[in-house]
Amino acid sequence: MTPEELLLLEQVVSARRERTVDGVVKSHPAWHDLDAAGRTAAFDETVRQRAVERSLDPAGESSTIKAVLARLR
Amino acid sequence: MQAEVAQLAQISTGDAAAFGRWASSVESSLRGSLRPFAARCDTEAVLQEALLRVWQVAPRFVHDGKPNALLRFAVITARNVAFTEMRKVSSTPTEIDQLHRQLEAQGDVQPRLPDPHLRVAIAKCREKLPPQPGMALGARIDRPDDDHVLAASVRMSLNTFLQNVTRARKFLAECLKKAGIDLDLELAP
Repeated sequence: MTPEELLLLEQVVSARRERTVDGVVKSHPAWHDLDAAGRTAAFDETVRQRAVERSLDPAGESSTIKAVLARLR
Repeated sequence: MQAEVAQLAQISTGDAAAFGRWASSVESSLRGSLRPFAARCDTEAVLQEALLRVWQVAPRFVHDGKPNALLRFAVITARNVAFTEMRKVSSTPTEIDQLHRQLEAQGDVQPRLPDPHLRVAIAKCREKLPPQPGMALGARIDRPDDDHVLAASVRMSLNTFLQNVTRARKFLAECLKKAGIDLDLELAP
């Protein structure tokens, strides 16, 4: 993977996602710039990253869960 | 089963904390159920959208008396969102049929129990992280904010921040391996 692809992948691993005007969670722009192998690698890295986050968070919440809960409040 | 019904009752009344506990307990299984979609749609966005829809439907959700009722509903919801996203990026009917067959072969999705030993091992490895990767990873864990904002909060350029998050994850994986833990094996379905 090139350094540029690694930067794209790392952005996709983030749980930060924008929403459309009607409130639907949008794909990360960087996801569209990755090829199929890069997208699959981003999925695998996200699985690892969220496991780490759950383990290190006192409430066991990953950044995905924090992002979802932030939308509810 | 009784605990599951009680938890659902809490969620139905709009208890966001109860929903957060449930969502944390099923996140790994739910994400795993989306693996066949990994190259075809942004599964992080799909997962978040599915959880938000489950929250919206929860007050009207009726438990069917079988285990993991809300998780099973969440899996169906997530897959429906994923198929909708796939159609947006012009997937062919053949691709969609193939995915349906893959999903049928996947079988029932079960919740994964947290591993306390893994938790301790990861915490120990985090303590050993070099300062810059440690700061970057910490910022990512603390809040799911925009990467520009997170990078500024730890006084790094965006690219340096992203590179440090990658380094932190690699360091953690190597540290865990030295402790005899293969993170991929631990997380395998």
